[in-house]
Amino acid sequence: MNQVLASVLTALGDDELILGHRHSEWTGFAPHMEEDVAFSSIAQDEIGHAAAYYSLAAVETDDDVDRIALGREKSEYRNAILCERDNGDWAFTLVRHWLYDHADAIRLEALESSSHEGLAALVTKIRREERYHLLHADTWLKRVTQGPAEGRKRVADAMTRAYPEAVAVFEPFEEEEAALAQGWIPVSSSELAARFIAETSQQLDALGLPTRSAGRSGEGAEFVASSSGDLIAGDAVDDGNPPAEDGFGGRRGRRTAEFDALWQDMTSMYRTDPGARW
Amino acid sequence: METWEVFRRHGHREPFEHCGTVTASDHEMALLTAKECFLRRREGEHLWVVRRSDIHSFQDETLLEIAADKSYRFNSGYRDVVAKRERARARAKELATP
Repeated sequence: MNQVLASVLTALGDDELILGHRHSEWTGFAPHMEEDVAFSSIAQDEIGHAAAYYSLAAVETDDDVDRIALGREKSEYRNAILCERDNGDWAFTLVRHWLYDHADAIRLEALESSSHEGLAALVTKIRREERYHLLHADTWLKRVTQGPAEGRKRVADAMTRAYPEAVAVFEPFEEEEAALAQGWIPVSSSELAARFIAETSQQLDALGLPTRSAGRSGEGAEFVASSSGDLIAGDAVDDGNPPAEDGFGGRRGRRTAEFDALWQDMTSMYRTDPGARW
Repeated sequence: METWEVFRRHGHREPFEHCGTVTASDHEMALLTAKECFLRRREGEHLWVVRRSDIHSFQDETLLEIAADKSYRFNSGYRDVVAKRERARARAKELATP
């Protein structure tokens, strides 16, 4: 029984569940039929990964996977805010898919050396599926970016909006220090954030896409590690309530109005009869 | 967007077999979607996509029809050979008998 481990595993699962749910909202609406099948399959993969993380967490807290996924209050979720944003158009969906899967790949590469054998083994399996997700995201982003002007503009706008929130995927876990000390997470979130920025900046430069927000949060906002190891925007005060527009706070339970609607939809069936066996 | 014919096979000893089509802008996109449309439930281990316009056939497919009697090209054309041989042997025996 370990609350620290459970809390990290739950946050990892929450990213996958919430993004998987967002992806699944495209089922029946994707730009064409083949992509509908492919994107729905990716959504299923992500939700499957969530179930696997929750299974490990459930062992630590003697809990139930369905309850963890669907039986919590809104404030108990710990996903990155990027994952809960509305799908918007296909461009935003693609950009978020690209950013999240690149962030996830960097995180998974580190987690494969976790001192927790169950987690390390799970991550090895997940990485095999994530290779396809990355290929899918890379192929799509390149096509739309190099295509007609409208697609390129939409992708650039979405990148401007989503990039800072993607960096916030590496907002430290609530129990980061303790999990690092145990080696359950082998690399700190701030170190992973630096790797993410270095890697994606290079790729986005090659595509001619922006890597920094041109809006409010981009003005002088260099994300730096604070003395506590937390990632904070340069001029922000880490009072536990980061400004709403920078995408931070998700790991501490800050939720947006967009999450509210998602949660209502995602949990409505479960809440009609909590604990029912399916 | 173009139409791509999708072929898959189960193992190295098996032939590639046609399993369907996808519509895609290029071969990389075709492979991406074909994998999820036709190989999602372990229906095979290998996948090809071929641009439909790269597949050629006869303009006039009646050329493929067999017009005259070509029964000698088919096993069924030799179905009575055993009976014929029996008759020939019987005839030979008859002739050899003084």
